[in-house]
Amino acid sequence: MTFRDTVTLSLRNLSQAKLRTSLTTLGVSIGIASLAGMVSLGVGLEDQLVGRFTKSGMFDSVTVMSGADRPGGLAAVGRGRGGLGRRGFGGGRPSTAPPPDTPLKDVTDETIKELAALPNVRDVYPTLRVPVEVKYGGESEFAVAAGVPMGVKGEGAFQSIPYGRFFASDDERACMLSLDFAKRIKDADPKILIGQALTLSYASSSGGMVQQSEMTCPIVGIVERETGPFSGAGGVSPLMIPMGKAKDIFAHSAATAQALLRDPTMTSRRYQSAVVRVKSAQSTQDVEDQIKKMGFSAFSLNDALQGAKRGFIILDIVLSLIGSIALAVSALGIMNTMVMSILERTREIGIMKAIGGSDGDIRRIFLIEASAIGFFGGIAGVALGWLVGRIINIGANIYIQQQGGTPGNLFSLPFWLIGGAIGFSIAISLLAGSYPAARAAKLDPIQALRHD
Amino acid sequence: MATVLETRDLTKHYRMGASIVRALDGVSLTVEQGEFVGLLGTSGSGKSTLLNLIAGLDRPSEGSLRIFGQDLAQMSSTELSLHRQKNVGIIFQSFNLVSTMSAAENVALAMMFAGVPRGERDGQASRLLETIGLGGRQTHRPRELSGGEQQRVAIARALSNDPHLLLADEPTGNLDSRTTAEIMALLKQLNERDGKTIIMVTHDPGLAEKYADRTITMLDGKVIGETAAVGS
Repeated sequence: MTFRDTVTLSLRNLSQAKLRTSLTTLGVSIGIASLAGMVSLGVGLEDQLVGRFTKSGMFDSVTVMSGADRPGGLAAVGRGRGGLGRRGFGGGRPSTAPPPDTPLKDVTDETIKELAALPNVRDVYPTLRVPVEVKYGGESEFAVAAGVPMGVKGEGAFQSIPYGRFFASDDERACMLSLDFAKRIKDADPKILIGQALTLSYASSSGGMVQQSEMTCPIVGIVERETGPFSGAGGVSPLMIPMGKAKDIFAHSAATAQALLRDPTMTSRRYQSAVVRVKSAQSTQDVEDQIKKMGFSAFSLNDALQGAKRGFIILDIVLSLIGSIALAVSALGIMNTMVMSILERTREIGIMKAIGGSDGDIRRIFLIEASAIGFFGGIAGVALGWLVGRIINIGANIYIQQQGGTPGNLFSLPFWLIGGAIGFSIAISLLAGSYPAARAAKLDPIQALRHD
Repeated sequence: MATVLETRDLTKHYRMGASIVRALDGVSLTVEQGEFVGLLGTSGSGKSTLLNLIAGLDRPSEGSLRIFGQDLAQMSSTELSLHRQKNVGIIFQSFNLVSTMSAAENVALAMMFAGVPRGERDGQASRLLETIGLGGRQTHRPRELSGGEQQRVAIARALSNDPHLLLADEPTGNLDSRTTAEIMALLKQLNERDGKTIIMVTHDPGLAEKYADRTITMLDGKVIGETAAVGS
């Protein structure tokens, strides 16, 4: 008997018992829908969280520290956060760090170019935090102005800007504030600050003379979240100015001049640290290793992401186990249907054997019937799972929006999941059908022909 | 003349609870090609058991059973199914057609198991139904056919893989006398015109005497008499 004939005969048998076939198929599709839905939820949540983390710049960036700043480097960055609370220029003066006691390389404009040339690197920019005095409406406070590169637009904390906008260009004379800082200036209604001008005053050096310089810049945006100092590129500081402007101020600052005085051989400006943005989070580790090999001190939060991913694998397994319960029930449904069908068709099986059907032919007919139920149940199940996922997703997003969160796809249905679910459905159906099929194949033809 | 069937001390026993039933008890007989043999006996005489063994639907307990020189007792279940496909065509008292299939599909089913390509088997099924006088009834389901017509479909099915040996188990047991005569005439024609060897089980001595070349009478699993029929 050819395979094609076996399939034709099997499908024909299934269509003879339409109601029973469709009920069994429905049972399988519910099982597959629950399994596919659960896995889809796991994958969707992972995409959401890992995707969001990745966009936050926490996992696709490597922080490179200047050799000289290494011992106090982290603390120096950390001090930038306190900002206004502190009086005076205590914070990020790079030249106050102890002299180099390690052979580690420094972060300069040259080494930034070297870092940018590495494979899988998207962008490199220095961490620039310049101490300034902020003047607004007759009051003044000291703060650290952080340089923000244009590359982080739409990422991390800048994914949504509650009031105003991101910088228009790298050397725009403009600043953004964190919501906390804005509230400190104008507690009642921070959003009216948009368009208002702040005056930044800083110590600059010109021809060996230290003098006070001023820059007036309008507030263009207020960003909500103030993340930690280790948030890489996407973090928020109380006061932010475009990277180009920050470089200008830095170049002319008294601190830089002091450093040049101390070490006249320094050919290029030295930065405390730089952030290397990697093309994809997967290559973070590689890039970090390469940078270390080049002689820099570097760190990333890649390990934390790997840990999160391991957590999601466990979540996926738990979710699929829950989903499998429904599939186990539908497998029993297939078995039941097949056993019933064999009982009903005992005489027919006897006839088929009498006219030359082999045990193998009979077994294959029933196995193909089972796998056809699995195949159609799998397709219907994936469709059903997708539909239910969409409905839950719409409901969940309404809730998330009410809670002030960002809506997204909680359910993700990649191609591997569609194919895998249908394949799994066929496999489970074959497994469930194998016992009834073996029973049918072993029927004694004489007994079967006497059956009525 | 070639020997189609040869049995030596063929024995078949069944276990029925604690006791053993000897359905066949040392049967030795020979059937030559082109013969029409009537197997006569009362219910329980072992005639149907013998037919089932010849058909390869069951296995002997002891002894040998050779068909065209091949011993069925030594065959695997796959070889037995090939034997049923190629060597024998079986006709039952209760027709045993698949109720959900049309006349033509029932005939084609046997060829499907034999691996005959679709176009070929459809043509052959149609031709066979034509020759046995059911040309206009090809798409009818068994329940839409009379008993005689159903038995004709079964005969067409038995002939579909062109076997040398036709086995008929009370082929007219469910038919009235007029239809019986028609079916018997058809079998006789297949025997005489097409040279098919036929072994027919019946409990009706009149039928055996009228159509068979030779009658073998059985009782309690043994052959108790062999007679050449009148007129052969």
